[in-house]
Amino acid sequence: MNNNLHFRQSNLTSIKLILFLAISIFFLIIDNNLEISNKIRKNTSYLILPIYTIAEIPVNIYEDIIENFESRKSLINKNKILEKKVFIQSGIIQNIPSLKEENKRLKKLLNSSSPTKNSKILIAELIKVNLSPFSNKVILNKGSKSNIYVGQPVIDSMGILGQISEVNKKFSVTTLITDPGHALLAINTRTEKRIVISGTGDNRYLKAEFISLNEDINEGDILVTSGLDNIFPEGYLIGEISKIHKNLQKDFLEVTVIPSSSLTSNREVMLLW
Amino acid sequence: MVIFSRINFVVILTLFLGLILNILPLSDILNSIKPPILLLILIYWSIAFPNQVNLTYAFISGIIIDILLIMPLGYNAFCYTLTIFLILLYYPQIRLQSNWNKMLSLLFILIPYFLMSTVANNILEIDYNILNVFISIIISIIIWPALFKVLRFIRQKYIS
Repeated sequence: MNNNLHFRQSNLTSIKLILFLAISIFFLIIDNNLEISNKIRKNTSYLILPIYTIAEIPVNIYEDIIENFESRKSLINKNKILEKKVFIQSGIIQNIPSLKEENKRLKKLLNSSSPTKNSKILIAELIKVNLSPFSNKVILNKGSKSNIYVGQPVIDSMGILGQISEVNKKFSVTTLITDPGHALLAINTRTEKRIVISGTGDNRYLKAEFISLNEDINEGDILVTSGLDNIFPEGYLIGEISKIHKNLQKDFLEVTVIPSSSLTSNREVMLLW
Repeated sequence: MVIFSRINFVVILTLFLGLILNILPLSDILNSIKPPILLLILIYWSIAFPNQVNLTYAFISGIIIDILLIMPLGYNAFCYTLTIFLILLYYPQIRLQSNWNKMLSLLFILIPYFLMSTVANNILEIDYNILNVFISIIISIIIWPALFKVLRFIRQKYIS
């Protein structure tokens, strides 16, 4: 090949450098809430989804192979365990209608007017692609065709997972409760006190903020959603307080909360209406 | 002109592969220490064809990664552009170096990228483990010779 091709220095390089860096910084300043990139994703969703699908293929093949080679014996065992679980849980569910009625009656007595909505549930699957290790977002395979809206609560069988932050035609993006930009209002079930829970960026921990040093709070207290944020319905599990660190130099307690939902190892999630 | 379009075709194909590898689902621990494979592929091609694979490639692939990974727009574009600019400054020297020496220069070229990402994480108030960043740098340097061999094989077979 011609050597000139290799060593010809382009005059445009430094101009290009300044231009591109300026555009990037401009985007970084303007696109603080991911608004522009949301728009781009919305308009190119038919291009993005195939890329995600291709990236998913190796894992799907691997899982299919594992599934096919699972022995009959382990499958029978698994089935037995699941049957037992369903049996016990349907036993527990039996008295829910009567509890609901009782709750309604009591609320009437107290003159409280919190509406008891009939909720609808849709099961969505995760698209198994790895986003940046530092972003706490997951992608679901249901989009605006299934009437998903921004701000919709997402749960799994163990507790609250997050909320929908972006809806495209065939996929949607969920911001997990562990995202550093996410916060929600919880209620401590033992003391009925309200606590602000915000994300840390680490999938394993949440933190409870603005708790004064003399507040009644214990390790092992269970936190549920308060319903006051108008996003998450009332009474769903968030997590358990795992560690309380008292630092007299600071104004508030440092409280770590372990989320109850399995944030990293989900296959399917539920969307609530 | 024929060779130009062929270069572009092969480069875009390998960059697309790198993109797929970048978003390939891995376990959590592996995800936090994975190397920026797309950037490494970009670095190879800009050393090989600095006039074709230049800052435009870096900027556009950075924007695409930002959109795919749902990150603030411009974050990866900034890092990639800066890194490829360093390559464009030093590629004549890097080409002449031995394999071990290349790994060392790669270390210095990747430092701004990782510095940027740690600074951005601090601004966005994301908790991260600084050890993971170091491991990520080391892994990207370790896989460099293998990547180099593979891409050189592709280059010799399909271009020139």
